Amino acid sequence: MMEYGYYPGCSLTGSAKRLDQGVRQLCKKLGHILTEIPDWNCCGALEYGDRNELVSISGENLEKARGMCKEIVVPCPACYKNLKDADPDRSFNILSPLELLSVENLSQIQQKRDLKGQVFFPYYGCLLMRPEGNSIKNRNIMEDVISAFGGEVNGENMKDRCCGGNQLFLNKWATEKLSTLILGKTKGTVVVFCPFCHMAMKTFAEGRKVIYLTDLLLYVMGENNSL
Amino acid sequence: MIKEKDHEIVFKYTGYRREDFSVCLGCKICASVCTVNDLAQNVNPQELLMKLFVGEKIEDDHPLVRYCTSCYRCTTACPWQIRIPEVVRAVKESLGMESRFEKAFKKSLNIWGRVYEPFVVAMTALDLLKGGYIKYMPKWMGYAGFHLPHKVKRIKPTSAPKGLNPSGEGRS
Ligand code: SF4
Ligand code: SF4
Repeated sequence: MMEYGYYPGCSLTGSAKRLDQGVRQLCKKLGHILTEIPDWNCCGALEYGDRNELVSISGENLEKARGMCKEIVVPCPACYKNLKDADPDRSFNILSPLELLSVENLSQIQQKRDLKGQVFFPYYGCLLMRPEGNSIKNRNIMEDVISAFGGEVNGENMKDRCCGGNQLFLNKWATEKLSTLILGKTKGTVVVFCPFCHMAMKTFAEGRKVIYLTDLLLYVMGENNSL
Repeated sequence: MIKEKDHEIVFKYTGYRREDFSVCLGCKICASVCTVNDLAQNVNPQELLMKLFVGEKIEDDHPLVRYCTSCYRCTTACPWQIRIPEVVRAVKESLGMESRFEKAFKKSLNIWGRVYEPFVVAMTALDLLKGGYIKYMPKWMGYAGFHLPHKVKRIKPTSAPKGLNPSGEGRS
């Protein structure tokens, strides 16, 4: 059992509530304790041109966490990047929930269902993979998870392409074009871990399911009744 | 348009110095991987860096200023790992080209310390209406849910949105 600080970030309190609930539920199942950083503030996302300001906004969260925890679980990839950028000395261990998963610890979970006969496209997008030095450690973790439960995986060369999610409310045709390109070259249920990617894919995927990896895992554990 | 003398603000924002761009090899690997290639023609992040380096003006309809997605593909591919999206963002902000959506985001952060999505939606409702977003509402039902804004304690309150043209209403 491990104890972690938890930084949900703004979208997980609203449009990405599902990811928040999924992460909390999954961590509980894996025996991890998450404690929310008190009074955490927005990370600044990708909205600030002034790097000093962005680092200061995210750094404030680290100050709020100081003395409380050294390891912070951060589901949203934009928050994950910003908190890492605000901690160049790596005085904290900023972790995506994806980094709490491994095939070994998944083999210990109570599996109630498998994914045999189902096709998935694990889609990471940008900020879990880039910039280099900031990316998650196992860059195949979603494939590992899906395969471990018998699911079929495709779309390797599209998995870190950009969906254009942050243009959705500025130039939606751009997001449509970029997302459609990715969708056109892949098949099956789209499995994401980013609220931006979820929204972009959901908006432009016709006739394909878009789910968070947490939904998939909870389904395998018998929690969710359908994918 | 961003004039030569205004380049200083871009350097200040990004933390890069003018001479930091002198290492650029002109290899254009950044151009070959840039996501904006799928959206516009003649996309070349290196050209933007060179404009800053030699002090040339940058037009506000530059394709990167308009469409850069902050995907960091260029940074990862660049031999010097130059954080080009952060340069683009600094240029965009110093041009006062942030959209109403981006401004609403920052305003929410100023008020509550967090982004309260219903506020951002309310502030940009007209754009959503005019922009034809209503047709996506059925697909977006899963994102809706009622909660009240929560004001958090700040250690260092964020300054008001800034830029050379802070009152600009955004053109995208
Ligand atoms: S971050 Fe911007 S400039 Fe760099 S590759 Fe992506 S879209 Fe192009
Ligand atoms: S990849 Fe880097 S070094 Fe090469 S042209 Fe682009 S900015 Fe210059």
